[in-house]
Parts: sequence; C-alpha cells; structure tokens
Amino acid sequence: MGRYVIRRLLWAALIVFVVTLLTFVIFYVMPPGDPAIRFAGKQPTEATIREVREQLGLDKSLPKQYYTFVERLVTGDAAECPQGVEGCGWPGLWISYDSRTAVRQEIIERGPRTISLALGGAILWLVLGVSIGIISALKRRSLADRLAMGFALFGISAPVFWLGLLALFIFGSEGLGIDAFSTGYVEFSSDPVGWFSHLVLPWSVLALLYAAFYARMTRGNLIDTLGEDYIRTARAKGLPERKVIMKHGLRASLTPVVTMFGMDIALLIGGAVITETVFNLQGLGNFAVNSAASADLPAVVGVTLVLAVAVAVMSLVVDVVYAYLDPRVRYS
Amino acid sequence: MLALSLLLAVTAAGCGGDDGGGGDEQAATDTGEDAGGEPQRGGTFRIQTDAFEWTGNFDPTGEYLGTALGFYSSLLVRNLMGYRHVGGPEGNELIPDLAEAEPEISEDGLTYTFKIKPGVKFAPPVDRDVTSKDVLYAFKRIGTPSLVAQYGFYYSVIEGMAEFTEKGGLSAKGTNEISGIETPDDQTITFKLTEPTGDFLFRLSMPAAGPIPEEVAKCFMKAGEYGRFLIATGPYMLEGSDNLDATSCKSMKPLPGFNPNQRLIMVRNPNYDEATDTKEARENFVDRWEMTLNTNAQDIFDRVKSGSVELAHASEPPEVIREYTQNEDLKKNYHSDPGDRTWYITMNLTQPPFDDIHVRKAANLIMDKEGLRRAWGGSVKGDIAQHIVPDTMFNDELEDYAPYATEGDAGDVEKAMEEMKQSKYDTDQDGMCDAPQCKGVLHVTRTTDVWKAMVPVIEESLRKIGIQVTTREFEDSYTVIQTVKRQAPVSSTPGWGKDYADASTFMVLFDSRSILAEGNVNYSLVGLTGEQAKEVGAAGTTSGIPSIDADIDECNKLQDDERLSCWQDLDQKLMEEIVPWVPYLDANADFVTSDAVTHYVYDQFAGEPGWAHIAMDPSAG
Repeated sequence: MGRYVIRRLLWAALIVFVVTLLTFVIFYVMPPGDPAIRFAGKQPTEATIREVREQLGLDKSLPKQYYTFVERLVTGDAAECPQGVEGCGWPGLWISYDSRTAVRQEIIERGPRTISLALGGAILWLVLGVSIGIISALKRRSLADRLAMGFALFGISAPVFWLGLLALFIFGSEGLGIDAFSTGYVEFSSDPVGWFSHLVLPWSVLALLYAAFYARMTRGNLIDTLGEDYIRTARAKGLPERKVIMKHGLRASLTPVVTMFGMDIALLIGGAVITETVFNLQGLGNFAVNSAASADLPAVVGVTLVLAVAVAVMSLVVDVVYAYLDPRVRYS
Repeated sequence: MLALSLLLAVTAAGCGGDDGGGGDEQAATDTGEDAGGEPQRGGTFRIQTDAFEWTGNFDPTGEYLGTALGFYSSLLVRNLMGYRHVGGPEGNELIPDLAEAEPEISEDGLTYTFKIKPGVKFAPPVDRDVTSKDVLYAFKRIGTPSLVAQYGFYYSVIEGMAEFTEKGGLSAKGTNEISGIETPDDQTITFKLTEPTGDFLFRLSMPAAGPIPEEVAKCFMKAGEYGRFLIATGPYMLEGSDNLDATSCKSMKPLPGFNPNQRLIMVRNPNYDEATDTKEARENFVDRWEMTLNTNAQDIFDRVKSGSVELAHASEPPEVIREYTQNEDLKKNYHSDPGDRTWYITMNLTQPPFDDIHVRKAANLIMDKEGLRRAWGGSVKGDIAQHIVPDTMFNDELEDYAPYATEGDAGDVEKAMEEMKQSKYDTDQDGMCDAPQCKGVLHVTRTTDVWKAMVPVIEESLRKIGIQVTTREFEDSYTVIQTVKRQAPVSSTPGWGKDYADASTFMVLFDSRSILAEGNVNYSLVGLTGEQAKEVGAAGTTSGIPSIDADIDECNKLQDDERLSCWQDLDQKLMEEIVPWVPYLDANADFVTSDAVTHYVYDQFAGEPGWAHIAMDPSAG
C-alpha cells in the first residue's frame, strides 16, 4: 500500500506540473496580442502595462517566463509584493492589477467558504444518496423504492438556482422567517452556530441535487452486485444478510461512487457558482466568474491553478480509497 | 464622463427590467419627509449592493462611479466647492465647502482665488489642518498619467496642466509644477485658466479635486492604490483609518474599511468639526455606514423588507417596483427622484433616411414615448423627455418646452406624415417614407429586458411613417454604436447622465471635436466634416452636416444666468434645427429603504441617496 501511495503522489506531482505548464500556455502563450495588456486589467495605462511586463518578465524568452511563473508559485511572492498590496506569500499567485489585491489573499478569504459548502454538502449528499440507494436496491419495486427514486428524479430535475430560491422563500422573511437560515457567510471561528445555520440551506440544496445522482448510482451498482455469484455463495454459506450486503455487496458497489465523489468535491472547490450566488456566499466560484467578467486575468489564473490542484489532490485521495476498497487496484 | 455614463446606463438599464407590468403610481419623493418624527442621531446604516463596479478602486483621483462620487461628496471628501446633498435644482447648486466663501474671480474670468476654511482637519492618522498645498497636491495627482484621472480632461483649462502632465506629473524627474496653481500661503489657492470657463466651479466640486495628504498618498503612485488608504476630510472616514501606521510607506496596510470586492465601511471621523460645516450641507445623523455585497439581488430586497438591511443599492426587479408602488404601507419606502439622465434614440446624420432632418423630425413626432416608458416600468421610472438636457439641470425653466409634443405622448400620425411629406425619401409626398432607403434600416439595441420590450414600440411607431427597421440586439451594443465605421443608422441603446449640473456635460455629445473612430459618443456625428469622415471611417452623407461647436464655445465662456440661458437656447436649437435624438425618458434614480429609515433625502448632484441627511431608527441597525 505504501509503495502504491508513493507512486500516486509522484503521479499527482507530475499532474500539477503539467497543469502549470498548460495554464501558462493557455493564458500567456496562446492568445494573440501582448500578454501584458491582457494581464493589466480592464483599463490599462501605459505605465501599468510596463509594470506588468516587468513584473511578469514578459520581455524575456518563453522558457524564462515560465520559470518565473513557476518559481513565484513555488517560492511565494511576498518579497516582490507591490507597495500597498497585502496578502502576498506562498503560493505566489501574484496580484490583480484591477483591484490591487493579492490573488492569494482573495483565495484564502474565499476558500473556506467554498470548502465549507463543498464538504458539508458532500457529507450530506453521500449519507443521503447512499442510504436511499441501499434502501431502494434492497426493496426493489416497493413503495419505498418508488418514493426514493421519485425523490432522485426530482433532485436531478430541479435546477439548483430554483431550489435555492425556493428554500430561501420558504425559510426566509416571506415564509417561516427563520433569520438563522438567511443568506451570507459567517466565519466558523467567530460563530460556529452561525456558520452552521447559514450553511444548512446551501448544503441541503446541493445535497438534494447530488444525492439524487448518488442514490441512482448506488442502487444500480448494488442491484448488479447483489446478482453476482459470490453474493449467492455468501448467502449459501449462511452469512447474515446484513454482512452480505454491507461487507460483500456494498463494498464492491461503492467503488464507482468513490470515484465520482472525489471528482465532485474537487469540482465544487473550483466553485459552486450558482449556489454561492443564490446564498451570497462569495466563495471561489463567484470570484472566478467576476474575475472572468472583468477580464482580471491574474485572478482567473489563480483560481484555475487552485482548481487544478484540488482535482489532483482529490484524485490522489480517490485512488487511495479505491485501493482500500478494491485491493486488486494496488497491484495493477 | 463616458465611463460614468456607461455605468449609469448599466444601472438604469437594470432598474427597469420590466416588460410593462411595473407600477404606474408615483412613489415617495425626495424632499426629506420624515416617517418617524424628528430625525435621531445614531445607528448603523446597512446598504447592500449586487455589484461593486468601482472604476478606479475608490481612489478619488481616478474613481468615476456615481455611487463613489456620492459617498465622497457627502461623507468623505470636502472640496473647495460642494453641494447641499438634497433633491431638486437646489441640490445642483454649488456652495462653499472647504472654501471659506465663494472665490474671487478676476474680471477676465481667468483667475479664481479661494481662501480655505481654518480648522478642517484630515482624519487620523494625519491629524492636521488641510492647507492649500493639499489641494494643489490633488491636482498634481490628477496630472500624473500613472494615476489615470478618468475625468482629468476637466482640468486641462488650468494653465500649465498639460505641460505638467507631459513631463510625467509627479513621476517626472526633477521639479515639476503646475504653473497655473499658486499657493501663496496655507489658506490661499489661486487657479489661472487659459480660457474663460463658466463651469470651472462645478469642475472643482468633483472629488478628484478634493485635498489629499501627500505624506500618505505619495506612497501610492499607481492607479487605484490610494483608494485603500483614503484619508478623509469629511464627517466620516474609512474604518481603520485611526489604526493606520503611516510612519513609512512599508508600514501602511490597507484599511479594513474598504475592499474593492467586498465592503465599504465608514465610521465617524473624530477630527471633523461641525463648526466648519453647515447643517444645510451635512447633518450626519448616522453613526456608521456598511455597504456590502450580496450576489442575490432578490435577497437584498427581501432583507430590506424584513429590516435587516436599510437600503438596497441594486436594480429593482419588476415585482418589487409593483409591490412598492401599489402597496400603501410600502409606498413610503420607495424613493424615485429625477436622476438627471436622459434616455434617447440616436439617429445618425450620415445614414439614410436619417440624413434628412424631416425624417428625424417625423421620427420624433411619431414615436410612442409613453409606450417606451411603459417598457421601462411606467411613470415611476421618470418623466417623458421632450428635449436633450434634463429639466432639473435647467431649474425646470424648459419644463414646458416640447417641440414634438403629441397627445398622451403616444405619437401623432398626422403631424408626422405632414413632416415626412417634406422629405426627399417620401417620393410621392403622401407622408410615407417610400424610397428604398426606408426599408431594412438597421436598428441597434441591447439584449436586456427593457430594450427588448422597447423594440416593438419603436418598430411599430416608425412603420406608421413607412420606415421599416430591422432590429439587431447586441451584447456590446455600446461598442457597435461607438465605432463610427459600423455606420449604425439608428439606435435605442444610449442614455447619458450628468457629471455635474452644467449642460456642457451633455453638449460634449454634439461637439464635432470629440468624434473618434472608436469609443465615439457623438453617435449622431453632429458637426462631422468631410475630412473627419475619412479619418474616422464614416460613410454616407458626410458633407453639409451642421455643427454647433461655435455655440458650445460661446456658452462655455459665460457664467450664471447667461450661461444657463445660452445652454437652453442651444438645447432648443439642437431639437429644432439639428434633431439628432428622439429623447424619451428623463430617468429617475430609485431606491428602496426599510422601515427603519426615518428621514430620506435624495442628493441631486450624485443621483444617490443624500447620505449626509439620512436618518434612521438607531435601535434598528
């Protein structure tokens, strides 16, 4: 297992390296025109363009530019942080020339919002989705199965923005008037209860959508697995049904769910834009969209890198969990 | 001006996102009526906006967003000349603010001398009296290219300003001074102009011209940096200003009260002395201002209604307008006041059939302006515009001037056809545009709801006089009409708002010297010459286009009543002899407040709530 994890770690490092290279090519090399103008924000002046060119080393050769890009990313940018900008450091994601703020600082401030949303929602949808999937698979064609699958269909069909607005309408001032469930984000460190209550609705809305997918997938996989010969063998040798299902059936049927779970979390860390917007969470998703809309390229590059690293890390986690669930993977 | 107006356009565009179902009843007006007796001091006034759209990161030198101009002028920055921050024509009148009194103006109108009030101090950590050198320093920043003063062109009339800028402003090596600004002592400042400029005092009232302390600002020489370190002179300051370590450039960390993407928080400035100000300008009831972002616009209005936010700084959805204009309990919380901005249909004087003045007049006579206003949400969105400059800016003296008035503002087929008969494009003089040029005329518009709702009204109106337009909606419709070579014949995209209450800020739209190949705002190409046409890529009828450049120059030399009268005459000349627009809406600026707001006042200068006079129930915030 140890060698396997090391192998996956090296593989993840290679992925991150490739991602930095691709990000560099996509944002620095591929678009036509002067990259300094693109990075300098919406209304660049000659002075700003000169500043950008100098600070990003855009007057140097491409390999040298890439080296500067990676060096800053790896060693941090605190030493070169321009006057009046706070929050430079490691990793060096440089500054937004539009808002004169450190991209790293924005990501640090917004990251916990998105991570809170993604992880809380993920726990909820995993528990809900897998439980519903199991019940549905075990009680096939029963009323419980039909209700569970009806719920899944509803969750898949209902757009997140609609569910979000509906939830706010029901629990907000127009409905039950529960202030604790209102929009916005409360820091966990300043008020854990407020943090929880402000995230309950966004978690629930996200969970409803994802739980539906997970329920359907768990149900399908479990039904397939329960039809396998080794399940019949397990039953024949007199194992209790609970053990047959939980140990032999569920474990085998969960591997695709784990893969999907890891990727979903990684993508959500890149930003659940709609949920963040409806619930005014102002996380990474909002930041990415606003940055793209205002042509704030350093910010877009920063979020892209964070998302890419999140995907790489989650892939690693998925691979490790996968190996635990299915030992054959370790030896392949 | 362009940046501001584009933003105003965007704001107003969103404001009326109704397709006809908006409330038609008039909302509360701005006069400061009290909902809860005598205004009380105190409270935290919470404002939510659905987008921060700073154009210069809140650095007064570069910032051009109307919202920011309102905060500076009311709460943070004291200019030599300021405003009362109230609604109506009175709110557009200048009064001395940092200046002790009106300036002495030389007989030739070229020299302005101000005395600065003693006792006006900068907020902590600067803690010293404002001097004439702080005002001079603000002008040096305006003239420094790296700081991007977005309306710096207003100050090019100061002697030596252009030379100062050419040398690099404050970034120049060696000594660099503005020869036309002198500060003989700490209380006196003199401006020498290169030409008489009747609106110079208005220009001095713009926040970029307010005092800036060099000891702090010298550390921030790039556009938008100083906004996070702004040192106030007004009754409020950015939160955290008192904890700013200004001992060196390196020790200064951005003030927590302002983050361009997240918040603007202002608290009382302990160095503000009420004795240096007047109650008519600022009453300062509120203790603390918090403006934050809420990405869910509907939630902002829900919060205002439930009382967890005092004011919504966002475009009202149609159902909100309906609710607040029809529900008697809520009506008092919907405030709709003249925004000093005109929405109009622009006609290109080089493009057939609009290269014929009779067609342009007929278009004015046939347009169903009431229908267009309904598309915006009804009468609550503003008065029908009958000419170029909003009435408030003319002290309502042209209120009755309506050269193309029709019954119910719905258009008059008979009158329009009479006018059309005189056009070369009506070949058989039957009142219908029947030349081939009248078919498939490109109409450029926006993709947003209000503009979509206006399309059938415009198409149907023009069809009645034989003009068949082909409408195309563009995401970037401003870019389309601002690019001369795209030759857009007619567009309902634009609107224009004032920077300050002088009609010159509208007349720049018809100055041929401002025509550019790209980024052009003289959409009608008034005054275009054949030579210019080649330069900017204009095609079509490029000769014989009338110019009002000389009229603009003439008015610009005048002051006070003569000036006002000159602009009024020019507005009428434009409407009758040139006819570049079909103006249709003098748009209102509308805001929704909570029950906790006990005293609401509108600031005519900024087109924003009059923060300096607003009061709330202190126990609410």
